[in-house]
Amino acid sequence: MFVNETVSNFPSITEIIFKPINKKYLKVILLNVILTFSAILIGLFLADYFNVFEKTSKYVYLFYIVFIVVYFVVSLLFYVSFKKRKYAVREKDITYKSGVFFIKLTTVPFSRIQHIEVDEGLFSRFFKLASISVFTAGDSKDDLVIKGIAKETALEIKEFISTKINE
Amino acid sequence: MNNSFDFSNFSKQSSKGIFVIYMNQIYKTIKTIWVLLFFGIKDFSKITNLSTNYIYLILVFILLFLLVRAYLIYKNFLFKIENEHFILKEGILNKTNTSIPFHRIQNINFKQNLIQQIIGVYEVSIETAGSKDTEIAIKALPLFKAEALKEIVSKSANFDKKIIIDDDKKPLVKIGIKELFKVSLTENHLQNLILFLALIIGFYQQIEQVIDSLGRTEVLDGLIAESTDALSTSFFLVTILLIFLTITALMTSFVKIFLVHFNLTAYLKEDAFEINQGLFTKKSIVLKKQKVQSITISTNPLKQLIGISFITFKQAVSGKVNVKKQKLIRIVGCKKEQVEIVKSSLFDFYELENGKKNRPDNYYKRRIFSVTFLFTIILYATLYFIFLQLEILYSAILVFPFFSFLIIKKVNKRFYKITDNMLLVGSGLIETHLTYLEVFKVQNITMEQSFFQVKSNVADIILQTASGKINIPSIRLEDAIKIYNHTLYKVETSKTSWM
Repeated sequence: MFVNETVSNFPSITEIIFKPINKKYLKVILLNVILTFSAILIGLFLADYFNVFEKTSKYVYLFYIVFIVVYFVVSLLFYVSFKKRKYAVREKDITYKSGVFFIKLTTVPFSRIQHIEVDEGLFSRFFKLASISVFTAGDSKDDLVIKGIAKETALEIKEFISTKINE
Repeated sequence: MNNSFDFSNFSKQSSKGIFVIYMNQIYKTIKTIWVLLFFGIKDFSKITNLSTNYIYLILVFILLFLLVRAYLIYKNFLFKIENEHFILKEGILNKTNTSIPFHRIQNINFKQNLIQQIIGVYEVSIETAGSKDTEIAIKALPLFKAEALKEIVSKSANFDKKIIIDDDKKPLVKIGIKELFKVSLTENHLQNLILFLALIIGFYQQIEQVIDSLGRTEVLDGLIAESTDALSTSFFLVTILLIFLTITALMTSFVKIFLVHFNLTAYLKEDAFEINQGLFTKKSIVLKKQKVQSITISTNPLKQLIGISFITFKQAVSGKVNVKKQKLIRIVGCKKEQVEIVKSSLFDFYELENGKKNRPDNYYKRRIFSVTFLFTIILYATLYFIFLQLEILYSAILVFPFFSFLIIKKVNKRFYKITDNMLLVGSGLIETHLTYLEVFKVQNITMEQSFFQVKSNVADIILQTASGKINIPSIRLEDAIKIYNHTLYKVETSKTSWM
């Protein structure tokens, strides 16, 4: 393995203390899930009501069962994934960790950040939450987005990084 | 040498430029309305004599309009150099004022299409990393002006080194017709083959439609039925077709390579590469070394036999990384020594030689094997259920060993070497790619672990650079963490600008 003797105490990614994202964000996630599923449910109900699937109308209750199972599984997955979302801001970089089956850890050094954005969604605004996105050069879709942190914190982080970039 | 020209005042393009712009305008117009034209021609018989006159009138009007437009574009196109900035004013109604500082310029390209060659002017385009489109394109400049501009921009403030005059410099690489032929032989012909197959299928459907419209469907059906009856005949036909296609694919590769890379010469300057090539459209690229994000050296067994490899230079791009292939800057057909010169002129790769070659964990092999075979088995199962013929399964005797062979090839080509400053990643299936990256040029770093990878204690490392991703798949977790920390340390402590 490669050796790097010049630095004795290497800052390690394994020693970072990660912060969880805001608990209120779970409500935003669940609201989104409920909204999506309600739309599907209404569609299903209307289709049933107007007899769209003529031949399968006997089995329509099966659709509802599947629907409910899927709904619970999705909600559970979102809940677990919510627990796994964590971030950390260090002296020189920002890190985000997420994923249940695919654990993903991304770090963006401040010196490579081109610009930062703080966005608020419709529900997020209601809970005073915001998401922070940092962009580097190159393929921008793979940069870092942390959703669901308190708006104040997000602005603080933004301010902190901005001063760091300008140093 | 050509620094004689003074760019401090606003100047226009060569007056021949009007013609170039005019042609370009016509070309663009045809490109946008060709579908309309196509339908027009299709229903040509319906058009009466009276309306043809109108059509000619409209045509003349459009041509005149474009001429006026071309003149106005020419008239309003002004550029100058001031304070290490390239300043451009353009636009007829919407005036645009562009100013590009020299240090942001990534490369200066010279181009000559057929028209430009005939009237003896060059198109100079100046590109930055800022947008994926060319920022400035001066359509027509006489050679001395173009050269002078290139000299000024390419020896911008940061590099106050001596300019070496091109004429008494030997090119680093010079590729003749014979070499180009070799290069084209080693190209990936599969792509061309597939393209031709698609074309033929499309063509076949066209014929079918025509015959259909003539009401002779049964004739064609009979023909097809006849030929499918005689299996041996169709086998014979398919073989001939395949041979024919292969020859055509080879020919196209050759013509393509010949057109693009004709008379390829690459020069090595103090701080930049200069690459010239092209037959109908002559191109010349000046590429600053500092702007190179990473280089990839590719070869395949055939190329290795002849002893050549390709060098691809990757530069920073913003927005989408899916740049068209032709935008990639590459030197085809490099000999081994030439590759070494390019490599050593870009970075200190000496320490890499001594570095240890690391291979991915066995998990990598297991993953590819299981995914490929799962996919193949599912494919076979579906095929079987569709056709219900056991004969399909016989091909498995060939398919599985072939796939295994490919996978082992792929696994063997995967390796990485990391030293204090450099990263070398090997990859490829039939082709072999070696990607060199200076560690501090990384933009962000990601470590990924799937559920299975967690169990096997391995992880993927993805290094995002300004010119795209570099993957190091399935290495031991502790090595992955080491690379992660090392890269971050290098990026965060480096004071060198990454582009």
